[in-house]
Amino acid sequence: MNKGNILQGPMGLGLAVVSAIVALAAFGYAFMDLSAVGHRSFNTSSQIPWGQPIATYLYFALASSGLGMIAALSLVFGFKQFLPIAKRAIFLSFVILISGMAVLAMELGHVFRMLWVIPLNMQIESAMFWMGVFYVADLIFLLWKFQKMEGREWDSKTSKQIGIASFLAVLLASGNLALIFGMMSMRPFWFDGLMPIYFYLTAVASGLAAVVFFTYLAYGFNRDAMPERTRAMFEGPMGKLFAAVLGGTVLFIAVRAVTGLYTNNPEISVVWRDFLFASPVYQASLWLGIVAPFVIMLVKGLRSNPSMQVLVSMAVFAGLFAERYFFVVGGQVVPLFRGTWEWGLIQYTPSLTEWALTIMGSAMLFALYAAGERFLNLSDMPAEPAPEGATAAA
Amino acid sequence: MTKWGMVIDLDKCTGCQACTTACAMENNTLPGENWQDVLYYSEGSYPTAKLTWLPRPCMQCENPSCVAVCPTRATYKDMDAGGIVFVDWNKCIGCKYCMIACPYGVRFYADEKPVVEPDVRDVFPGTGQLHAPPYQGPHDDAVRGIGIQPKGVVSKCTFCYHKVSQAPAGVADLDEDNPETKEFTPACVRTCPPKARYFGDLDNPESEVNRLIADQRGVRLKDHTGNRPQVYYLGSGADVPAYQPPKKS
Amino acid sequence: MDKINSGISRRRFLATTGTGALTVSAVAVGVPGTGVQNTPAQAQAARPNTTITKNICAQCPARCGIDVYTTNGRVHAIYGDVGNPIANGKGCPKMHLGTYFLYDPDRFKGPMKRTNPNKGRNEDPGFVPISWDEAFDTVAARLNDLRDRGESHRFAHFYGRGWGPTDAGLYGDWGKLYGTPNAAIGHASMCAEGSKRAKRATDGNDSYNSYDYANTNYILNFGASFLEAFRPYNYLMQMWGKMRSKSPQTRITSIDVRMNPTMAASDRAVYIKPATDGAMALAVAHVILTEGLWDREFVGDFADGRNHFVTGQPIETAVMPEPVTDPETGEVTQAAPEGSGFVELWTHGMARWWNEELKDRTPEWAESVTDVPASTIRAVAREFGTTRPAMAIMERGPTSHTNGTYAGMAIHALNALVGSLYAEKGGLFYQMGVPYGGLPVNADDYMDDWAKNGAWKNYPRIDKARTEEWPMASHMMQEAGPNHLKGDPYKMDTAMFYYTNPIWTAPNPQVWEEALKDVFIIETSPFPSETAMYADIIMPEHTYLERWQDSPTYPFEGWPMTALRVPGVEPIYDTKHFGDMLIEIGKRINGPMGDYYREIDNVENVLRHRAKGFEANPGDNGVNSFESWAEKGVWYKKPYHWHHRRGKFYEWDGEGYNVEMTPEDVKAKLLKTPSGKFEFVSGYLEGHAAYIERELGVSADRVGLIQWVPPVHTGGGGDLHFVSPKTPLHAEGRSGNIPHGIAIHQPIVGGKNTVFLEVHPDTARARGIRDGDRVRITSDVGSIEAYCRFMPGHRRDTIVLPMEHGHWAHGRWARGRLPGHSGDVTANVSDPISGLASYYTGKVKLERV
Repeated sequence: MNKGNILQGPMGLGLAVVSAIVALAAFGYAFMDLSAVGHRSFNTSSQIPWGQPIATYLYFALASSGLGMIAALSLVFGFKQFLPIAKRAIFLSFVILISGMAVLAMELGHVFRMLWVIPLNMQIESAMFWMGVFYVADLIFLLWKFQKMEGREWDSKTSKQIGIASFLAVLLASGNLALIFGMMSMRPFWFDGLMPIYFYLTAVASGLAAVVFFTYLAYGFNRDAMPERTRAMFEGPMGKLFAAVLGGTVLFIAVRAVTGLYTNNPEISVVWRDFLFASPVYQASLWLGIVAPFVIMLVKGLRSNPSMQVLVSMAVFAGLFAERYFFVVGGQVVPLFRGTWEWGLIQYTPSLTEWALTIMGSAMLFALYAAGERFLNLSDMPAEPAPEGATAAA
Repeated sequence: MTKWGMVIDLDKCTGCQACTTACAMENNTLPGENWQDVLYYSEGSYPTAKLTWLPRPCMQCENPSCVAVCPTRATYKDMDAGGIVFVDWNKCIGCKYCMIACPYGVRFYADEKPVVEPDVRDVFPGTGQLHAPPYQGPHDDAVRGIGIQPKGVVSKCTFCYHKVSQAPAGVADLDEDNPETKEFTPACVRTCPPKARYFGDLDNPESEVNRLIADQRGVRLKDHTGNRPQVYYLGSGADVPAYQPPKKS
Repeated sequence: MDKINSGISRRRFLATTGTGALTVSAVAVGVPGTGVQNTPAQAQAARPNTTITKNICAQCPARCGIDVYTTNGRVHAIYGDVGNPIANGKGCPKMHLGTYFLYDPDRFKGPMKRTNPNKGRNEDPGFVPISWDEAFDTVAARLNDLRDRGESHRFAHFYGRGWGPTDAGLYGDWGKLYGTPNAAIGHASMCAEGSKRAKRATDGNDSYNSYDYANTNYILNFGASFLEAFRPYNYLMQMWGKMRSKSPQTRITSIDVRMNPTMAASDRAVYIKPATDGAMALAVAHVILTEGLWDREFVGDFADGRNHFVTGQPIETAVMPEPVTDPETGEVTQAAPEGSGFVELWTHGMARWWNEELKDRTPEWAESVTDVPASTIRAVAREFGTTRPAMAIMERGPTSHTNGTYAGMAIHALNALVGSLYAEKGGLFYQMGVPYGGLPVNADDYMDDWAKNGAWKNYPRIDKARTEEWPMASHMMQEAGPNHLKGDPYKMDTAMFYYTNPIWTAPNPQVWEEALKDVFIIETSPFPSETAMYADIIMPEHTYLERWQDSPTYPFEGWPMTALRVPGVEPIYDTKHFGDMLIEIGKRINGPMGDYYREIDNVENVLRHRAKGFEANPGDNGVNSFESWAEKGVWYKKPYHWHHRRGKFYEWDGEGYNVEMTPEDVKAKLLKTPSGKFEFVSGYLEGHAAYIERELGVSADRVGLIQWVPPVHTGGGGDLHFVSPKTPLHAEGRSGNIPHGIAIHQPIVGGKNTVFLEVHPDTARARGIRDGDRVRITSDVGSIEAYCRFMPGHRRDTIVLPMEHGHWAHGRWARGRLPGHSGDVTANVSDPISGLASYYTGKVKLERV
């Protein structure tokens, strides 16, 4: 069934090697800067402590969670149509999370210290503590589930339980990640009890983008090369699911924007008006990266079109990355007690080092993914369910 | 139990920033890393322009929102130290979540681009610490974030704990004009020329700080956050104007 | 104590940032309450190796006493000295940054000479280290040669911040012995001479005032930047705290051309058109008189007790009846005058002032000149006139213009009208001197023929101060460079600079850049500067934290005081005390001058002799010797000796103000005018009537009147007033290179790594300038660039650029920091009377770059 997977051949190895080289180069650049001058090489500051590296991490972590949820569609909830991408989704979820964590590690002041101070101090009041707990659990369950899949153990009780556990870990991890922002009443742009729902939706959107893009990539963007059940999935339910998720995302952004613009609180309304909507990048990412893909996916004739699906997945990639960036930075741009020291909104543009981290994470994802396609059978899926009454295939 | 508090009389404050520089030198901070900042606000226009200013230390909140968010307990409120909120530089991992969670913007991640070039960290390089400033104070207590900060950690006002902690037990007020307590008074309070600052025990009904808060109706900044600062303001000017984007042209 | 070294000392090569085995020659002072008095003092009980030495901050003229904390040979903290009456344990924002002076990485580390003969902004001087002996010998050889050639007048000393007997105090004898009229040329005319001359012209004291702020109930502040740069700044802020919390609270009205912290913190902020403060003061005086609010016990009254000051109506001076002598007893009695004439007590010229100037100076007239609404002027005048004690203060805002002295006189006259001169409470006084001991030898005994009668005596000073060109100016440093360039009155040969940097600070310094190219320059600052880049010899002095130095107070509360600098650390580089440089050069001058300086020997010797004066006059804090002076850091003796109470002057007799003074006594000691009264018609100015008529166009018969004289604005037809104030962070001569200061320099509009040009948004928009734009400021002498910041609180016709940056040779932090230097667009024009450079009178053009 893998005969159409071009990444199983030299292409896969080539992509893995090239991506690894890019990742290493970006890492090297960032590492040199960080060792030479520390986080002075970032454009973050005491006014904007969280910048693009955090946005990148957030983007990757949520994409990972989204992929976990997409895998759960078939593995937990029994939507068998999505079984063809379950294994790839689990794998992608794992490597994208690893890539995100690598970016985060370069952002922290003392990453190695973290490894012992967090467990030793057990600050259970901190959402950041739970982020560690849940994402570690998430990683373990993803790995475990993947190991079961690798053993073609699709339907065993353990495998199912691990699947459920993995799904719960994903929900907890991304929901808690949302609360890291959503619980901050002193940052009104983020303060929102429904933030987890918003994160779930956008997580799935970015997960879909990832799995669509990478699946197409594996088959050389040629749907005809795909196994039949995979092709059927792309021709059928995938477009609808994508449309539904993007619709929810659009709705969520819209209500946040409407309430944000409506309020007098400048820490929200000014952010929407003068930071988000005033930015051509944000406008482009919103209209081209989220709204347009939604429209495309709504149109019956387009949503199953392979080119459209690839295009939409790439657009959503970019759109949601910008969404994460503007979300993270937007919560901080209104100067907090700065008086005349900050004349306008706090200016922030990521530095080259910060871009290097984003590139490093992305290249790492590509490298790990390509290696996965090359050395593991990510297109694997259980055999076609037997007709009613027949014995299940072993 | 002692609960250190500060009172700042805005009717006497002249906005001179002596508190800022005294703090900077006492605590080895970087240029622009103003643990004790003075924030100016300008409203209205000629001939009825209004200019106000607000000196702003860490509020050492009774209910500090920065403490709970710290995943490593690096930032903590020390009830045995008069309720001062410290950062343990040995535990801080530099995640900066506390900076997000502080409604007063009084936490600093010094590992950032310098406000003033050339970077004093390059001019006065340190070994094992961020830099070796020319004024390098002799006090070091990394567990409380006192001394020259290492790389990659968050720093903040400590109410000059290295001074305050030496005060005689049970003292009601640390008054710079009292020779018995001068050396133990926080730098910003000690130097304040118009004596707009007072420092004492909020837990002692006899303290001058409590008297001032009572007599002159002290208020706390952004009290709606529920953080319950241990810093009180007297006089007019604590009503910080809401952020308004300035007109560019 | 720094010993006079010969050769390049080993320390110079060892010392880098204050490490090395240094012993602290500090006098130990205990920390009260810790039980460790009279042992090496401790910052904390747990730190036995911390010493506290007494010193005086050197970042402005205020002379705040400071405690310098040194641990393990390293200065790490500076706080106000509790025992010092100016500092009272407090500090301004500059004080704490003093360690940056000591550990400035750009400091000169030892004496050097120039190897590149070409001088200019882009010329590398090619300094190479030399020994102190070589430095002194080179200079002495040059000076001896000059003297031998009969050209000793061509050597000039220039100084800015002189501290006292150990530096500027040595100049007089030095110049007298060597034979030059140019010892020394001070920077007063680039500082604040306007207010001094205004007081000289009205009450006869050529000085700044001392003030009793603690007891005043009203301050009418004309452009004095009370909460930014007026001195002593630290003490003024302490007084602010007192005034604003005492009962009754002192009410403060500030008059300025721009929004600033003083204006903002005052009860009333009055914006005024630049250079028109005098008009407002005259209108205030007009209202005080017409509404009968003047102090009758100081000024006097109409004979019939009724108020005849009516706008536009003249008054008469009362005719005093002939005294009647009783033929039997011989007793002389003076009957009271009759009629409606005015009887003056301690003032002079009221009727003439009113009739010839004041009667038409109505608030409405003033509004047309000043832009201040007449109603505001009336309200201010009524408040000021009905609140006692009240004082009117001023500084460079009103006086740094061509009409500055007259403006200052009009303001100072308000103090006479409300009776605050020498008032018992809340008054204005003048500073008493310090009863120093004499030097061991008298310079007069060491004068050779050249010193006594040499041809040098026929030459004017290079700056032409006290010549017919500037007859009333004490110094005219800003003229020295241009005069040299013209060769009029002659060319300088050699010049020695101390605490002054005219190639940057003089108005229109571009001229100085050209002028000083052919002068042999000796620069004595520890720090690089524009003038130092022209130096042929660099002789770096100690920073203030490394040297012994006394300093009598600036006018403060009146009673005498002098503080002392005690080194907090041994000099960390191969530097010397400036006084010792003068002495060492003096020793090398041929003839008796060398003998004199061998007797003087060194600065410590000077200080010890000065301190002998305290033996007979122990200070209030027990200081009666050099040692106790060093321990306490200050000698002072309260109270001030004179005051005015209900129409009479009294002198302190040791127990109380019990001696009533005669008019002659008052004239000799307090009101030192020709009339012995406060003069509304100035005898001093009348003595220079022809000059004033020529320079200011005031007719000779009117020059004595306190009057409105329109300003002459410079700049060549610009449409915007340009002012360049000093901010609270402006540390004299150095703040351009102090990173912690630069980072918080201009809080008013958020200048945090540079300073912005503050412009009213309407003014900017009219020129297509947006907030943050790079702009060009142009006058007829030059143009500079800056970044614009909108400041809606300023007048639309006035733009504000703090004088701070724009240095081209000041150190690594100052380098290349836009904006340009305000001086570069400031014309070299001065008030003809005071000689004060009109720094704030320029008008400029503003455009987007």
